[in-house]
Amino acid sequence: MVPQFSALLRSVGHVARVRPRFAIGYGIVVATLLAALLAPLVAPYSPIEANPAQFLQSPDWHHLFGTDAVGMDVFSRTVYAPRIDLTIAIAGTLISAVVGSVIGALVGYYSSGRGVRVWLAYGVMRAADVLQAFPVFVFAIALVASLGQSIQTVVLAIAFVNAPIYLRLMRSQVISIREMRYVEASLVAGLSDMRTIFRHIVPNAIGPVLAQLSVNVGWAILLTAGLSFVGAGVRAPAPEWGSMIAMGFQNVVTGQWWPSVFPGLALAVSVFGFSLVGLSIEVFADPVKRRGLLRDMETARKANGARATRTVAGVGP
Amino acid sequence: MNLLLFIGRRLLFIAPQLLGIVLVSFMLVKSIPGDPAVLMLGPTATPEAIASLRNSLGLDYSLPVQFWIYLQHLALGDLGTSWQTTRPVLEDLLQRFPATLELVTLGLLTAVVIGISLGLASAFNRHGVLARIADFYGLGAGSLPDFWLALVLIFVFYTLLQWVPAPLGRIDIAVIPPNPITGFLTVDCLLTGNWEALRSALGHLLLPVMTLGLINAGPILKMTQSTMEKILQSDFSHYQVLCGIPHRMVVRHALHNALPSVVTIISVLYGYLIGGAVLVEIVFSWGGAGQYAVQGVLNSDLYPVLGFVLFSAIFSLFVYLFVDIIYFTIDPRIGH
Amino acid sequence: MHAPVAPGLLPGRAAALKITGLRVEFPTITGQSKVVVRDLDLAIGAGEIVGLVGESGAGKTTLTRSILNLTPTPGRIAAGSVCFGGLDLLRLPERDLQRMRGRDLSVVVPNPRGELNPLLTVGKQIVNIARVHLNLDGKAAQVVALDMLRAVQIPDPERRMKAYPHELSGGMAQRVVIAIALVCSPRFIISDDATSGLDVTVQAQILALLRQLVRERDSAMLFITRDVGIAAHFCDRVAVIYQGEIMELAPCEALFLSPRHPYTAMLLAAFSHNPRLRRGWSGPDTAPRQDGTQPGCVYAGRCPRAQPLCVGSKPVLGEVTPGHWARCYFPLETA
Repeated sequence: MVPQFSALLRSVGHVARVRPRFAIGYGIVVATLLAALLAPLVAPYSPIEANPAQFLQSPDWHHLFGTDAVGMDVFSRTVYAPRIDLTIAIAGTLISAVVGSVIGALVGYYSSGRGVRVWLAYGVMRAADVLQAFPVFVFAIALVASLGQSIQTVVLAIAFVNAPIYLRLMRSQVISIREMRYVEASLVAGLSDMRTIFRHIVPNAIGPVLAQLSVNVGWAILLTAGLSFVGAGVRAPAPEWGSMIAMGFQNVVTGQWWPSVFPGLALAVSVFGFSLVGLSIEVFADPVKRRGLLRDMETARKANGARATRTVAGVGP
Repeated sequence: MNLLLFIGRRLLFIAPQLLGIVLVSFMLVKSIPGDPAVLMLGPTATPEAIASLRNSLGLDYSLPVQFWIYLQHLALGDLGTSWQTTRPVLEDLLQRFPATLELVTLGLLTAVVIGISLGLASAFNRHGVLARIADFYGLGAGSLPDFWLALVLIFVFYTLLQWVPAPLGRIDIAVIPPNPITGFLTVDCLLTGNWEALRSALGHLLLPVMTLGLINAGPILKMTQSTMEKILQSDFSHYQVLCGIPHRMVVRHALHNALPSVVTIISVLYGYLIGGAVLVEIVFSWGGAGQYAVQGVLNSDLYPVLGFVLFSAIFSLFVYLFVDIIYFTIDPRIGH
Repeated sequence: MHAPVAPGLLPGRAAALKITGLRVEFPTITGQSKVVVRDLDLAIGAGEIVGLVGESGAGKTTLTRSILNLTPTPGRIAAGSVCFGGLDLLRLPERDLQRMRGRDLSVVVPNPRGELNPLLTVGKQIVNIARVHLNLDGKAAQVVALDMLRAVQIPDPERRMKAYPHELSGGMAQRVVIAIALVCSPRFIISDDATSGLDVTVQAQILALLRQLVRERDSAMLFITRDVGIAAHFCDRVAVIYQGEIMELAPCEALFLSPRHPYTAMLLAAFSHNPRLRRGWSGPDTAPRQDGTQPGCVYAGRCPRAQPLCVGSKPVLGEVTPGHWARCYFPLETA
């Protein structure tokens, strides 16, 4: 058990050396999660209390990222923001992934043959077409507006606009897998449709969905921030990156860049981290890309080895 | 011959799809709390005035009846009236849609130029400097919020350097714009030979187009890269290498095969950006269609939203149709 | 360490291609590398067809690609040389080697429909090769391509020139691939399992055609297959490869009539209809695959005749009778 674990650790080390970007990605994601968890310990000021005497102070040692137009500490707010942004993004993505995948698996399984369920599956797909033909952003804003503005409704809106992605992904996977012999075998063995789908098909189809998850969390963060930016998401003074950028908007034009630039930077970096993690999952899951990774690891190792043996080789005949 | 059949079959699906889109958006906007009559007349209105306005707006009918009335008007080319601008939605949109389209088209063109050239450079030389830049760019561009990048660009190029005009609208207030012919400011300026207005319009276009171009180059670049990589790893590219075909030619043939995916991502972006550029529109006070629709949603103004959704849906449908025609000419396997 | 002479060139023949000490490795995630082709020596004479027989995973395809210095990723050539026309292909600059591929050395690939560019017509793809390698202008290349399609006996070649790969049958596509391989009259051809997946009748036609074209042009050929029967009919000499090592190399008749290596005997028994032979040699393949780090013979784990010596040290490929080579301490007696 223990030697296996250390071998695993060594492999992780090798991968990190050849693809530092993966290490960076995981580092960013962990750091963002830590910021969300430990915000009260890290932030020097309250994220929602304004000190009107100290508005629009440029960054210094007291206020690392300066203060905004009403005198709130930008650094503290930036550190607290992932609590809201990550919660919304992760919750929204998970809901859309679960709902989308389940429906996608059913629709894919019943996509051919005859009977009412086939018609239902067809109807679901056309409905997904309609949803995807919508301008995403306007649709999301309308959803939030119609359900009432709150964190829960933003989560729902994100789940709603993302669900068709998973639906299609899962459907196309299931359609190709359901032709496999082991699916036939499971049906012949007397398992019900549902058990066949969830015991034998879904586990084999889940790979691309998992790779999509992390990337999608990044998108969801962007969408959350965008909604807040137009005033349809999280409301100020709750610390959220998008609404912080919106609050600082007017100040940027007149030269006080810090209330907008820092939260935007934090937002961009964390989305970047999530897409790097998504990329790494994609590489590990795809045999062709994994081979490329292996080759690079080999070259790196050889370069290391050459450096180590060069001194020894000099002694030879 | 085959092509016509193909297009015909596609068009057949469009009508029910459009109906579905209108229905969903109708229900959605109707379910937004807030009474348009109250909003229109303001807080001082008497109950009688509100009641009579509700009556004249048809708000007293049941939802299906309201929808039916809307459809009847739609058939006559009447998209309703916006209570915010108090003008017919069709007129508003005809004025604003070209503004959005101009912005989005130029932005997308910029993105295509950046994305494809970087993608190709990295495909030709997998380990070159450009490939490294492209890798980083492809990862980074998708992570930037467009409205934030717009702000940073404004800060650098307007506030600090003073190279571009203030981010307010499509043209300087002091400059008299040409009479709208096509609705695209730059085209109209060219047609009327109004060079001063053209200069101003281009100056205002620069930053938003750069924002959209820089951000949307990411997905195009990634698609170009990943498709090219997949094709260069595919059997037939390996076979061409085995046959001693020069690297340049192998890459060229791979590009030919990658074209459908690249065209697809471009078209998807085009459709998406009509509504997706709204944040950039807001930052630059562009006065485009997306901004109009968002204002509509935030103020329970039903008809502008419906009109915008319809416009953009029809636009996307045409883009996709165009893409299908491109596919048809690229790939001999389609339609046989 | 290796056999002093390249094993088994027939007397009086000059080698068209000579592989010496070739070793190809693939890295694994744990950091060790897996040797896929191990210290392989082989010479092929002009006008000769040498078969390479082995089960899947024996390293056949890796070997073909490595001859052209195109080892599939992430593998790499760790040692050895491939001599062709006085040049070592593995040390040639990529530019020069690229000009030789398809012109002086070409490959006939299996599953040809996946190997052809789906967006170009068949004619265009042959013309392309001709233009690249023979410096022909468009018109002359067109003529050459059409002649080549005739030579591979495609019916109605003028019409086929304008066909796309997806419009061809498997046999037809295989002929096109042969046409591409032969259009520059290469001196060395590798046929990589070229007829697998075809109907038996089509297979026979294609093989006959291939042999005729090779003989006409006096080219050398390495014929790779999993089918022992085809090798027996088709080749002048046959090499049996197992786990990246040549186990036995002999003229066709000698190999099939009196195999000396136990692995060859087992392989033949598996294809045989003789019940006694089959019973004697076939058994479940349950022995763990060796990765070559062990000292002994790579076949020792599966070999019914293995002795302690076989596990302890590795036999070399030695000449048992003139022209007949086997890598075994205890070769079978001639029948």
